Amino acid sequence: MRGRVITYAEAINEALRAEMSRDPEVILFGENVSSSWRPSTKGLKELFGRERVRDAPITETAFIGAGVGAAVVGMKPVVELMLVGFGLVAMDQILNQMAKTTYMTGGEVNVPMVLRAIYGAGGGNAATHSESLYGVYAHMPGMKVAVPSNPYDAKGLLITAIRDPNPVVFFEHRLLGRMEGEVPEEPYTVPFGVANLVREGADVTVVAVGKMVQEAAKAADTLKGEVSVEVMDPRTLVPLDEEAVLRSVQKTGRLVAVDEDYERCGFTSEVAAVVAEKGFRSLKAPVARVANPNTPIPFNRSLERHVLPDADKIVRAIRNVVK
Amino acid sequence: MSPSISDERLLDLYRVMIRIRTFENGVRRLISEGRCGHVSFSTGGEAVAAGVSAHLTADDQIGSTHRPLGHLVAKGVDLSRMMAEIMAKSTGTNRGKGGPYHIFDKSVGALGANGIVGGSVPMCAGYALANQLRGNGSVAVSYFGEGASNQGGVQETLNLAACWRLPVVFVCENSSPEVQRMLGHEIDYPQLSVDNVGDRGATYGMPGSTHDGWDVEGVYAAVGEAVQRARGGGGPSLLEFKIHRLGADEDSRYCPVKCFRDRLMEKGVLTEKLEAEIRGEEAAKVKEAIDFAVGSPEPEPLDAYEGIFVEDD
Repeated sequence: MRGRVITYAEAINEALRAEMSRDPEVILFGENVSSSWRPSTKGLKELFGRERVRDAPITETAFIGAGVGAAVVGMKPVVELMLVGFGLVAMDQILNQMAKTTYMTGGEVNVPMVLRAIYGAGGGNAATHSESLYGVYAHMPGMKVAVPSNPYDAKGLLITAIRDPNPVVFFEHRLLGRMEGEVPEEPYTVPFGVANLVREGADVTVVAVGKMVQEAAKAADTLKGEVSVEVMDPRTLVPLDEEAVLRSVQKTGRLVAVDEDYERCGFTSEVAAVVAEKGFRSLKAPVARVANPNTPIPFNRSLERHVLPDADKIVRAIRNVVK
Repeated sequence: MSPSISDERLLDLYRVMIRIRTFENGVRRLISEGRCGHVSFSTGGEAVAAGVSAHLTADDQIGSTHRPLGHLVAKGVDLSRMMAEIMAKSTGTNRGKGGPYHIFDKSVGALGANGIVGGSVPMCAGYALANQLRGNGSVAVSYFGEGASNQGGVQETLNLAACWRLPVVFVCENSSPEVQRMLGHEIDYPQLSVDNVGDRGATYGMPGSTHDGWDVEGVYAAVGEAVQRARGGGGPSLLEFKIHRLGADEDSRYCPVKCFRDRLMEKGVLTEKLEAEIRGEEAAKVKEAIDFAVGSPEPEPLDAYEGIFVEDD
């Protein structure tokens, strides 16, 4: 029997609703979080009041820092970054204070905070409004990084993030908001650091995150009968389920890493490095990467399509490595 | 001045100021002996630290700067664990992981020193937000310098605190009250577009005022009003205290310890005998802290890899 179907944004909303109901110390703030036109937070202010669901002025440093402070004294703030790129004005609070306070204080305090960051290209929004940047956050020790690719994971990973005593940057793709999927009504958790096997296959392992998981699955379907493609969604970049990736590559002998973030020093580099270091002997072909080729994302839609990974590019990369 | 301060309270303030001075001079000695690394001192700011913390309890929070020792001593951080952190020992407040610019001690609400100029200020809004939501009547005090007052994050936080009517007191220690416009001295251009940081309060929708930071009774009175306002739900205030950074035993008319000592002597509250007693007792506490720190072990090498994340409950 098919379960209840809701959208990715509604799944986020349900996770917030469940955790705010469960724990009065969970609070939500950011730009326009009380708006009725934003499905991921719609209705929360009416339910929990304007004190706990609070609109902030457009001052990312101040309100992200306030999240860090509230977390240091034991609250569970969920702070929303309307777009991940807007976080670039608040790098000290994110990469220094949020990420490192636990370590630098020797564990005297910790930072149970979630920074929800909307991200993603494909909407024709030009370079500063289309980036992913999870590589930047994953680079910094001290923060966990979750990148849900579907409604089920969005709800379960967000509940896990809110209950985690560490800072978590939680990436929501702007174009996945309307994606539908089966989501249980009751609260549940999806553990961090456990990859999801999206398609089982024998010839090549495709590791993809976020919206690119869909593209990788499409590529796998396109190649049905030609190449048997295994698609792996790590779900969290930190911690990364290295074992699942290595196990899969051991079986298939080939790796294609896919991601819409920049290729250089990015997530795809990390996956390639893990396999090169710990799974080299499993490889029958060089590792391939499909990512943004280190190009700012152009405004024009056809130029944008040029630089972004998609199912066709993944298909080409797979055909190359199985040749 | 404030006639309502009892003699006992005056002597408490004086004792805290002596403790800060003695503690910092102890650290100077350790540095001169090559036993610890660089530390930025707060000498000259003792009256501000003492005058602020006299209004706070352990349930109130402070966020401090890279010159934090005075603030931390006044807030009641354990001297031994603080000294051990300065010496990078495993018994330090931060287990040797943070150093003097990052000392935290949550048991007394010292949250905490911060090595990024202006870095602790947005976090103080978070402490205040938690206080407001919990309705616990606690206040946060955010210390920063005149340089930090220009930082975007500080100005953003002033605005946010006023918008959200947070129980926070912003305390700006302006340690270059004369030189900021002096050509060829520290900088060729002014670093502040106004003479008084306190004047900026009004533009953020909160009371702002400027005071002599070397006069502890003046500090005490100004902070008392701002803390009371914050506790009562009246929102944030911005207080600027002009201070002069001094060397270890620099003789200056801006030395807060000397100013206060003279005044207490004149009032008959302090005697030579009492003065010697206070100094002796505080010196003993600092000696105990140094002995503890010197006798403490270094962290184990593998401790470097511990504590990046905390474990799930």
